[in-house]
Amino acid sequence: MTPRTRADRRRLMPSPRIVGGLLFGLLLAGLLWVLAGRLLAERDATWARIRQTGVWRVGMDPSFPPFETLDAATGQPVGFDVDLARAIAERWGVRVELVAVGFDQLVDAVAVHRVDSAVSALPVMEQRAREVAFSAPYFEAGIFLVAASGSTIGRPEDLAGKRIAVEWGSEGDAQARLLGRRLNGALRLALRETAADALAAVLAGDADAAVVDAISLALFDGPGRRLTAVGEPLRRDPYVILMPADAPRLRQAVNEALADLQADGTLARLRVRWLGD
Amino acid sequence: MYSDLRRYPLLALALLIAGLLPARSQRPWVEFGPPQRVLSVNPKIGVHTRLTDEVEPWKVQRTWEMTRQMGATWAVEYFLWAAHEPARGVYNWAHADLVVDHAVNQGIALVARLGYTPEWARPPRTSHLYLDESGYDDFAAFVAAFVGHFRGRVRHVIIWNEPNLSQEWGYRPVDPAGYVELLRRSYLAAKAVDPDVRILAGALAPTLAPAGSEWGLNDLDYLQAMYDAGAAAHFDVLAVHAYGWTFDPDEPPAADAVNFRRTELLRQVMQRNGDGAKPIIITEAGWNDHPRWTKAVRPAQRVAYTLRAYRLALEEWPWVEAVCLWAFRYPRPAGTYQDYFTFVDADFHPKPIYLAVQAYAAGRGDEEGPR
Repeated sequence: MTPRTRADRRRLMPSPRIVGGLLFGLLLAGLLWVLAGRLLAERDATWARIRQTGVWRVGMDPSFPPFETLDAATGQPVGFDVDLARAIAERWGVRVELVAVGFDQLVDAVAVHRVDSAVSALPVMEQRAREVAFSAPYFEAGIFLVAASGSTIGRPEDLAGKRIAVEWGSEGDAQARLLGRRLNGALRLALRETAADALAAVLAGDADAAVVDAISLALFDGPGRRLTAVGEPLRRDPYVILMPADAPRLRQAVNEALADLQADGTLARLRVRWLGD
Repeated sequence: MYSDLRRYPLLALALLIAGLLPARSQRPWVEFGPPQRVLSVNPKIGVHTRLTDEVEPWKVQRTWEMTRQMGATWAVEYFLWAAHEPARGVYNWAHADLVVDHAVNQGIALVARLGYTPEWARPPRTSHLYLDESGYDDFAAFVAAFVGHFRGRVRHVIIWNEPNLSQEWGYRPVDPAGYVELLRRSYLAAKAVDPDVRILAGALAPTLAPAGSEWGLNDLDYLQAMYDAGAAAHFDVLAVHAYGWTFDPDEPPAADAVNFRRTELLRQVMQRNGDGAKPIIITEAGWNDHPRWTKAVRPAQRVAYTLRAYRLALEEWPWVEAVCLWAFRYPRPAGTYQDYFTFVDADFHPKPIYLAVQAYAAGRGDEEGPR
């Protein structure tokens, strides 16, 4: 109904008191938001201690080159994850303390605060989400369809009738067999002893494509790009940083640092340095 | 709404049933079908299943179907004392019946591992693996009840698991004589109910832990201590755990090495104690093919080692009755290296190792594999 008189319009306009009240409410909500954020950060004892001591304790199992391994000459940990942890710490103005933890103990070590984080080529483990938190991904290590550069294979559906090389028994093998079932069996597997052998079969013309994990591809191919990953991963396996579930401020800081490192090209440089990617 | 329902319990019950009906109707109907039998060139092939927390009947059935179709005649399954005797003398066999009946229907010889102490049989704030001597008779009574209930369906029962590890002994110092007392009471109780049941002892963890270690005791030393405590008269078969880790199954045995052929050293302890006529069943073993775990091997190695282990038992170890490898399938992904021990994934997709064992068991030799 359209107001016809000034009095009608005045009745429908919010009074200055209401407007003032709304503005005050918004201001109060904003203040509470900021306060809650500060309280949340203060409740994150892990982050508070990192800031206070200037030390970020990072667990890793240095047995997985090129992500983390012990340098033969110095005995010190080196690799993609070592550089990544240091780059993040540098952004925070703190020092990294690397702690060697067995691979099968890493999640527990984070959950019980033996270390502040784990940076060790770890995947997301939904089953442990109550105990540990996961950062945004920093590397996609999943299973890819790989073809020779310039190949006409552009998507999995192009594989019907083609010969696919895989490492026998690997996750790539399992994914290729699943793909074969989707294509009603119209896919021939060429089983090889290793992922490198499977990729070599493509280069040698013994197979039209291969299905391997991203790390095997990166380490095999190196510079030159004679082989190319086709499309999206057949199965994703993103590497993430683990933190205790009760460290939301630390998680926020890690994610912000990862975003910065992505934006300024640091992550890309680490990939080139350690994976030739 | 909640308070209204409390006032009308029948209405609440009706709503609950109505809510459950659609969920029930969506479940696949499970019929047992005709009895099956395992066809395999190697009757010693076995697996360790993980059906303890598998609640859906069709998944239990599918597990045993795929076990049979792979060519495995034997399987080890864990039956939790705490689940099947929730109060002293009160038994609930519903889930166990489901698991056992489907295994029997698929023609699989089931080895039942018994353990996991209920709260009523242990002091407060102790681990589920804690059982002191005051509870031995309770456990023996459970063993007897299990053996009686499953008489004619389950012929093999393992008494406890890896008692040479402190963790598996309820975080107490390991105690071979204490375990032998538990074994003795269980053996006598079981035999009184079914003289034909075969009692398996040991299932010792392969470890080099020295005497006095807070973690456990070397399995060879522990087995000798069992004999010293009079174990020989109270078991029919030795259960052995024989993980290969990164070693191939032909790696020679050595007192300071943990590998598949460590089984031969346990056998020597049996012989030294005049018990060489007793057989061994390997109730846990296998290789892992996680891409980065330091105790894992490459997938192709895992397949080759697995087939070799089954062959070795068949051709060279007449005293081994079965080799049950860990683990056929998990009800859901563990999300860790543990997933790389399995033969099929949680969705029942067969892994290449499953297909390789299946081809071998069907007499198709090395049909699967690199060319």
